[in-house]
Amino acid sequence: MIPIDDLLLGAAAVFVVLAIVVLYRAIRGPTMQDRVIAVNVLGTNTVVILALLAAALDVPSFLDIALVYALLNFLVAVAISKFTVDRGGVM
Amino acid sequence: MEYVAYTLAVFVVVTAVATALLRDVLAAIVIFGAYSLGMALLYTLLLAPDVGLTEAVIGAGVTTLLLLLTIAKTVRPSGDRTIERIDPRALFACGALAVVFGLTLPGLPAVGDPNAPIVSYDAVTGHYLTQSYAETGVENTVTAVLAAYRGFDTFGEATVVFAAGVAALVVLRREVLT
Repeated sequence: MIPIDDLLLGAAAVFVVLAIVVLYRAIRGPTMQDRVIAVNVLGTNTVVILALLAAALDVPSFLDIALVYALLNFLVAVAISKFTVDRGGVM
Repeated sequence: MEYVAYTLAVFVVVTAVATALLRDVLAAIVIFGAYSLGMALLYTLLLAPDVGLTEAVIGAGVTTLLLLLTIAKTVRPSGDRTIERIDPRALFACGALAVVFGLTLPGLPAVGDPNAPIVSYDAVTGHYLTQSYAETGVENTVTAVLAAYRGFDTFGEATVVFAAGVAALVVLRREVLT
């Protein structure tokens, strides 16, 4: 029987590996929409990792940071999208 | 625990190198936001959640928005290549700098080392940990040091940030009017 804390930490590690895979899409592109979506996925990934770490390490205050990330993620995605649309010709 | 931290370190290094090498400035800004997210996660994992929170808000939030505003008012170089051509001399200089910084790493105490100077020199650390609530009435020791013991310093920082914000608003406003 694996302790539940190790299981949660292992899941967090898998999500970090996934973040590196998504990073390939963010760097490679080729269009700006790909990058915006990729960074959005990375942000959601971060929220999940933080929640898993909060449960595994038993630090509930990590959940506050997860909330801030969720809000920030939305803000950045909207900002970049709006910028891309406003300057459609240049993008 | 270590695996998560090491994988995060790989993530941070890849994003940092990509930010430096990408030719498209907008793409570099997007990847820089991802770098800030990874860095903030790393801080949180090292049990410095307040630093992680600051890195997320300033690095991923404010800096990204400011850089977007900047390239909205200027131009960005575009070309066929995704990756910038690498100058060997610049690469050598960066590598040399990294080696010099890396040489200082063995001098740092290990994480959680009970013999680290900050722990063994108990006169200062112990005073803050035991007396900060009685002297300031603030429960969190870090907040007590920031807001009470070095309150004037923090006040000066807030003044500088406020002045910078006002200056940025004045410049942006002038742009709109003309």
